[in-house]
Amino acid sequence: MTRNTGIYASVLGGAAFVLGVAYGWTARDYRGEELATLSEALRQLEARNATLAAQVAESDDLDDRITELEASLAAALQALEDAKVAAAIPEPVAEEPSVEPQDPPEEAQTAALEFGDPARGEEVFGQCRSCHQIGQGAKDRIGPHLNGLFGRRAGLHEGFRYSDDMAMMGADGLTWELETLDAYLENPKALVSRTRMNFAGLKDPQDRADILAYLRQFSASPQNIPEAAPTAQAREVELSPEVLAIVGDTDYGEYLASECKTCHQQDGSDQGIPSITQWPTEDFVVAMHAYKRKIRPHPVMQMMANRLSDEEIAALAAYFAQLE
Amino acid sequence: MKLNRRVFVGTGMAAATSLSAPSVQAASHGKPKVVVVGGGAGGATAARYIAKDSAGEIDVTLIEPSRSYYTCFFSNLYIGGFRDLDSIAHSYGTLASDYGINVVHDWATGVDRDAKTVALAGGGSVPYDRLILSPGIDFVEGSVPGWDVSAQNAMPHAYKGGSQTELLKAQIMAMPEGGTYVMVAPPNPYRCPPGPYERVSMVAHVLKANNPTAKIIIADPKANFSKQGLFEEGWQKHYPGMITRIGPDFGGENVSVDPAAMTVDIDGEVVNADVVNVIPAQKAGLICEAAGLTDGNWAPVSGHTMQSRMDENIHILGDSTNQGDMPKSGFSANSQAKVAAMAVRGALTGSRVFPAKFSNTCWSLIDTDDGVKVGATYEATDEKIAKVDGFVSQTGEDAALRKATYEESIGWYQGITSDMFG
Repeated sequence: MTRNTGIYASVLGGAAFVLGVAYGWTARDYRGEELATLSEALRQLEARNATLAAQVAESDDLDDRITELEASLAAALQALEDAKVAAAIPEPVAEEPSVEPQDPPEEAQTAALEFGDPARGEEVFGQCRSCHQIGQGAKDRIGPHLNGLFGRRAGLHEGFRYSDDMAMMGADGLTWELETLDAYLENPKALVSRTRMNFAGLKDPQDRADILAYLRQFSASPQNIPEAAPTAQAREVELSPEVLAIVGDTDYGEYLASECKTCHQQDGSDQGIPSITQWPTEDFVVAMHAYKRKIRPHPVMQMMANRLSDEEIAALAAYFAQLE
Repeated sequence: MKLNRRVFVGTGMAAATSLSAPSVQAASHGKPKVVVVGGGAGGATAARYIAKDSAGEIDVTLIEPSRSYYTCFFSNLYIGGFRDLDSIAHSYGTLASDYGINVVHDWATGVDRDAKTVALAGGGSVPYDRLILSPGIDFVEGSVPGWDVSAQNAMPHAYKGGSQTELLKAQIMAMPEGGTYVMVAPPNPYRCPPGPYERVSMVAHVLKANNPTAKIIIADPKANFSKQGLFEEGWQKHYPGMITRIGPDFGGENVSVDPAAMTVDIDGEVVNADVVNVIPAQKAGLICEAAGLTDGNWAPVSGHTMQSRMDENIHILGDSTNQGDMPKSGFSANSQAKVAAMAVRGALTGSRVFPAKFSNTCWSLIDTDDGVKVGATYEATDEKIAKVDGFVSQTGEDAALRKATYEESIGWYQGITSDMFG
């Protein structure tokens, strides 16, 4: 390998980095100052080239690295093209007048650090990677890609085939914000009963806070998302062992259930309204408490759950679990 | 629908007796007898729940004149072309065959409260230990000057399901180009508070496709109406310029009609109309008055059990009642029926009785995939059925939510009709 190849690689690497930055920024709000950001980013690129060139030249793996960088540059260029089309802004050029730019990823990280550690979150996210991609060029795999997740309506990301329940929750108004993501990550099926996401959940509030801090870096305008302590929300669906241990009175449940059956058909049909027959008891209890605490969005269910006591929820759960 | 094997034993007897209706009282087993008058959302539900949950310990007779019951709810969707008539028609066969309910197709004309019998138009009478009346609504005579039931072909009310609904739809389809549809809306309280306004939406939907220069006028005695903001937003969006509502501030409460001339006089201004949909003021079904159970236009009941305030052996359900905060709706009647069924079983067989809980949700369709809803929960106090909590759809909701709301209403229709008819 020659030094020239190394420099070439380093240029590609730098360009990929900068364009990635540019993409992340333009994906946000394509107006005036983005051009300045791009110019500044290009200047940073030039400065980094020299350093990178030396490092890359020493690499034993130049060919692989070149291939990898070319691919990521192509993806970044494509993303930038898409972003420019969407933004309808002129070709960004280095000689555009520039204001002192803020570096958006750093700003996002600063904000994120206030509630979780994104670096640790990246490690925790390792267990999600088999199904979810995130970052430049991320595509839908088994699960949808997670770029731009914050502020996205659940189940409405185009091109991905969601479970009926996820689509229904999205139509009902479930939007991915800190608190809803926190509840979902804690126990996916408590928030979305028949989600396809086959994941037991992250019980440690710190794990969730960190992973959310990490995910947030890949969303547009994360600084606009209201801050909330995700650990506070975690208690919302975290039920005490006493509540979960209540043994439901099935006779009472049968009477209470007569109200449910006006809409939820006993024979398990679900047309517009999901079946709740033979729902596992604990899932039922957790879901009803999630409605009662208004984490699940549906207004009818929030209203119905709101006046049910812990004993009444247990009674309903016991009744529907044994219903044939 | 699954067979309920516990009550299947009653089937043969029920089928036989429903062929010779007036002789039902002969089928005495010494079991407690419940008679239900009216096979709609209240009566059919009460009959089914008592039969189902008493597992043969109670004889249940359901008296309903129609062999095919057309639900009033979703009849507007038939007018709008979203449902066919067959899809809102139901029969009582499953209640007889699977639940052992004695279904008698006849009119109940009176109640002898001392002898505890119900008289039938076809002759004979049926004895009861507990009577449940769920007769729906009748109209207040003279509430719209110039209109009475004999004019209902010229100016249909279409506020009881079935032939009136078909007639109104046929008249709308036959309107001349650029013609005028006038609705005379009812004063409070009346069946299905958003119903007239959903109907206007559905008429507008049909006219927009077939007769886009036609006009709709609503003469309304009420200053405000259910889901008003949602309907008005929807009308502006889907049917701009087509619908004019004349409220009481512009004489909407001062209306008379001339069915022969097909004119409507709104506060002195005479409108020539092609279709006039008169929805008169309403009162409890006639049997309530005949049985001496009304106070004014409605029958007062206790919210704890739905028992008449005037006779503890009689429970009254749905539109006919004066119960408190619940709207007159099929959902409400269905909800009240379950409380009454529990109370009746408790009284007759000693089964467990729990505190009454009620709920209601009314979905309305404004245009294709543009559904809205309003709902509330209720509980019984000694004075009345009192509202606990409620919600209503918001203006400006996105299309996905509105579509989901409409789809939910279809699921609800399946649910409640299964809950009523088995």
